[in-house]
Amino acid sequence: MRKIKITIRVLALLVFGLFFHYVLPQHDVVKLTSTEIIRTDFSPYNRIFYAQADSGGVEQPTRDLRLINTQKQKTFLLGFIPRDASSVMVYRNEDTGWIWPPYFKFDSSDLQAEAANLAKGDEWAVITHYGWRIRWASIYPNAVGVRTVSGPDVNVIPWFNIFFFIFLAAGLLFIRAMWRQFRQRTVDPLLDTAGHHVDEVQAEVAERKGRMSRWLGTWKKKDNPQPPPE
Amino acid sequence: MGFIKLVVFGFIGLTVIYFSIAIYSKSVRKERLENEYDAANPDGGEEGARDAYVEKGMVAYNNSIRPKLIGLVYVIPVVTVSVIAYVINTN
Repeated sequence: MRKIKITIRVLALLVFGLFFHYVLPQHDVVKLTSTEIIRTDFSPYNRIFYAQADSGGVEQPTRDLRLINTQKQKTFLLGFIPRDASSVMVYRNEDTGWIWPPYFKFDSSDLQAEAANLAKGDEWAVITHYGWRIRWASIYPNAVGVRTVSGPDVNVIPWFNIFFFIFLAAGLLFIRAMWRQFRQRTVDPLLDTAGHHVDEVQAEVAERKGRMSRWLGTWKKKDNPQPPPE
Repeated sequence: MGFIKLVVFGFIGLTVIYFSIAIYSKSVRKERLENEYDAANPDGGEEGARDAYVEKGMVAYNNSIRPKLIGLVYVIPVVTVSVIAYVINTN
């Protein structure tokens, strides 16, 4: 039982961890190399890793996808520890629209123009993005913003994520407090009354049983007390 | 269409949160009033005095600004969404 509980908790932690790792913004230090547009046919497997058509347009089974090609500084531990190595990274650049994930990004074309502008020069930039690059399923992280920085060793503090997790913890504690109050003030009194009724019924049954067995007992042969062994 | 969906379902979700918080806040206040009365009258006091005390306290609570502040549940997400949309979509 204990092992099952631990397993469920670890799995839940893993699922939520992956979920937040996918959805929350991350920052990469990159050099933009080029921008391009490719025609994309989604499969049922990778479709959920893409947003929808531009927010003013209509959804079709196939459409063009904006991509931003970069040379990215590699890091360890979600970008907290910089490394002296780089690799290519490709970002998609899609409107997230009004619903999910809630970035409310409508300026993909503007971002593409900015990226194209930066790709002409040799400047370092920080790309804010969410999502994963999964090569075998042709999945790209979605870039939501780009800004220039002075050099590759810039330190980006993830303020949004810090506040997000603080508010998440506060919200969870608040829900816990609400649930406890609800139990203490609403559920427990109800259970008490119900328990009281059950007790009463049980006592009555026990009493009746007692009377019945006493009455039956009067029909039994009187016990002959055994003489104590000598 | 996405915007309409967001508004409709957002409104439904926020209404659920609003009523949950309103009920919770009332419950906490009521418990505090009961505890205050019990602390002041360890022997139980007169018949009905406890209910009257709690009732009076709840009327005062309903007239105070606290229950109105729960309306911020509707305001804060709208402001947050507006700020995020503004920050993301400006260069």
